[in-house]
Amino acid sequence: MTFRSKPVARVVAVYAAIFLLAGASLLIPVAHAQQTDHAKKLGLNLMCMCGCAQVLVQCNHLNCPSSAPMLKELDERIATGESDELVIQDFIKGYGVAVLSSPPSTGFNRVAWLLPSGAFVLGLGVIALVISHWRKRPIHATAGPHDSQVNISADALARAREKVDRETEE
Amino acid sequence: MDLFGSFALLLAFVCAAYAVVGGIFAIRTRNPFLVKSARNAGMAVCALIVLGVASLEYLFFTDNFSVAYVVQHSSHTQSTFFKFAALWSGQEGSLLFWSLILSFYVFSVLWTYRGKHPELMPFVGVILAAVQMFFLILNNFIASPFKMIGEVGPGGILHWITQPDGRGLTPLLQYPEMVIHPPMLYSGYTGFTIPFAFGLAALIGRYPGEKWIHLTRRWTMIAWCFQSIGVLLGAHWAYAVLGWGGYWSWDPVENASLMPWLTGTAFLHSVMMQEKRGMMKVWNVWLVFITFMLCIFGTTITRSGMISSVHAFAQSEIGPWFFGFLGLIFIVCLAAFLKNRDYLKSDNQLDSLISRESSFLFNNLILLVACVAVLSGTMFPVLSEWITGQKISVGAPFFNHINIPIGLMLLLLTGIGPLLAWRRTSAESLKRNFGWPMLGGLVAGAIAYPIGCTDIFSLTCAILSVFVILTIISEFYRGAKVIRARSGENILASAVQLTMRNTRRYGGYVVHLGIVLVFVGIAGQAFNQDKQMEMKAGSSMKIGPYTLVCQAFDSIPNVNYTAERVTIEADKGNRQVMMLYPEKRAYESSQETGTMVAIYSTLREDLYVVYAGRSPESDQPVIHAYLNPLVKWIWLGGVVVVLGTILALIPNRPPVIVLKAAEQPAALSEGSRVVPAAVNRTSLT
Repeated sequence: MTFRSKPVARVVAVYAAIFLLAGASLLIPVAHAQQTDHAKKLGLNLMCMCGCAQVLVQCNHLNCPSSAPMLKELDERIATGESDELVIQDFIKGYGVAVLSSPPSTGFNRVAWLLPSGAFVLGLGVIALVISHWRKRPIHATAGPHDSQVNISADALARAREKVDRETEE
Repeated sequence: MDLFGSFALLLAFVCAAYAVVGGIFAIRTRNPFLVKSARNAGMAVCALIVLGVASLEYLFFTDNFSVAYVVQHSSHTQSTFFKFAALWSGQEGSLLFWSLILSFYVFSVLWTYRGKHPELMPFVGVILAAVQMFFLILNNFIASPFKMIGEVGPGGILHWITQPDGRGLTPLLQYPEMVIHPPMLYSGYTGFTIPFAFGLAALIGRYPGEKWIHLTRRWTMIAWCFQSIGVLLGAHWAYAVLGWGGYWSWDPVENASLMPWLTGTAFLHSVMMQEKRGMMKVWNVWLVFITFMLCIFGTTITRSGMISSVHAFAQSEIGPWFFGFLGLIFIVCLAAFLKNRDYLKSDNQLDSLISRESSFLFNNLILLVACVAVLSGTMFPVLSEWITGQKISVGAPFFNHINIPIGLMLLLLTGIGPLLAWRRTSAESLKRNFGWPMLGGLVAGAIAYPIGCTDIFSLTCAILSVFVILTIISEFYRGAKVIRARSGENILASAVQLTMRNTRRYGGYVVHLGIVLVFVGIAGQAFNQDKQMEMKAGSSMKIGPYTLVCQAFDSIPNVNYTAERVTIEADKGNRQVMMLYPEKRAYESSQETGTMVAIYSTLREDLYVVYAGRSPESDQPVIHAYLNPLVKWIWLGGVVVVLGTILALIPNRPPVIVLKAAEQPAALSEGSRVVPAAVNRTSLT
């Protein structure tokens, strides 16, 4: 009985833990059928130009001299059925490229997008080099089974034990 | 009192300068008297800065409006609480506050290691004193908080002026969290000076072995913990005060606090490689240098005004000083490295790609790439304008686009790393350690997707979060099971015993758990909703499962401000869950306004209500309501991170070795306790 119940209990415990944790994901609410407003989505690509450094749709200043007319313009342009690209281009014409919430991926500004991925690739290269260097490093000669008569000093043994302890404890 | 404060700071500067010069002579001459004298001077700096700060606080509490800094940041009507916090609300005061916290750290280090590590501590003392000296130069000669207000009268005679009242604290700072947030953040920033000083000292002095790492581990963890608290409190302050519905807008000042946190986290992980295997010595030294430089850089961004930010409360022309200091640090670090780089040779080799060592390498890579992404995004507008002459913006969408995948990779490594063995991990071990957690993650994903978690990043986050939590639980369970088999205690007691035997490892797991909770909270952002409408008394608004009913709109006079407040009843179903009072405050002394957000917070979601002002057309209050899912998990995660760090700081409890009555101890490791068999139920043998 004891022999059988232990694995069963373990499996039940593991399943309970999985479902308990999966239950946490239930807290993520159901995505509502109501889709994000088109203007809100497009507005995420634009900055408020009042100097608050906030994305247009997140500017929370009521009667903001900048965001209120910009949002109004955005709504009107979308209502006329203009393409998103055209609306954005017109905003750039009106306010300059600083109106975009992300740097455009053209010219020098492309660097902003390439830097993180470049750093990642460079880092991977460095890691590959480091790993290859570490793996090539010669292994110190160790006593084989036939060298059982080799005398090891107490000090060397203590150092080796200390090293083993250090490397095996977490 | 202002003269007294100025004099105390001047004396502190003299002592710091002596600690540097005397310390260098002490190192060169190896004169024990000089060593002691330089150390005492370093400790005296702390007492003198405390006197300087106490003087400034006295000026605030006594409403001394002849001092410019008091006029700018206080007023008669300001509460005592905020008069106290006004110390760090402006440029001069924050720099003095930085010096104060740094001096506490320096005093603690010099006191703790007095008479110990004679080959290392004089170097550490000199480096710490040099950093203190820089800040004391600013406190005394560039941005003194004790400047008086005066005007030149007829005949060229200077007259001191006392203003009738001050301007008061910036409304954005009149929030209880602002009393805690800067001290926490500054404690993080300044705390990284300690591992920096030890790292540089060990390199310059060619201090053998990994001793400096052991000595600074706790200091680094303390600094990291403060930095974590500071970052999260800052996010909470932004959430509760700025009123835009979010907690992180990738503002330059927010980013400045995140960058050293990222490199500090990388350092905390990679030092384990050096401790256990004698590897990554060059990397660790540079990581600690970079972390410290990023702390200084963060302050530069906040203070210099080089990048516009809603957080940059105290801007001035102080930037060049910080850039000069940064350049000097870099030159010193580089010179020390080039001169002594042979001292940093690794001892060991990598046995396998699937090992703890490789996971640390990748963990460091991801953290560093995250730091590069944040740094480049923060600085890019300046760089682009400098090169192309064109102004561009780098807003939250850019940072989210880049950093969300990086964050998810990090989350994955949080689960994988701790389960890999040092040196080599076998396929059997991989299967055993990852099988159930992976299955659990996939089950979680399968449940989450049909119920609406369709956003790719949120879904991945949910899967990875469950995976990581299960790996952490399985680690505790496996260890506790072994202890249970030996001691016969229940699994919970065994888990506690396990944790206390290796607090660093299991405290680290608790920190990981906290980070997962933070990620869960962030994932909820994909499901945010908001609605804005004019609400006259009696009108209602529906958002998610809540109905908001406007009860009243009134104006409430207060001591130093007048509040326009809306009373809103929040109902869920047919039940009232809370009365909410969002308000806008108009501060008379500063002629500025501040927002007080009303939040009904649950584990599932936050109902976040902002009174946005009156509509110009109807004069009715405009309410902006947000439904932000899972935000509370972020703050909860922060608490778990702090608890985990505290746990990791507790010294290990030595294992209890129980001997059979018939046997005698052959050899016991140091620190073990021997308990007679009769007392315990089982024995180890």
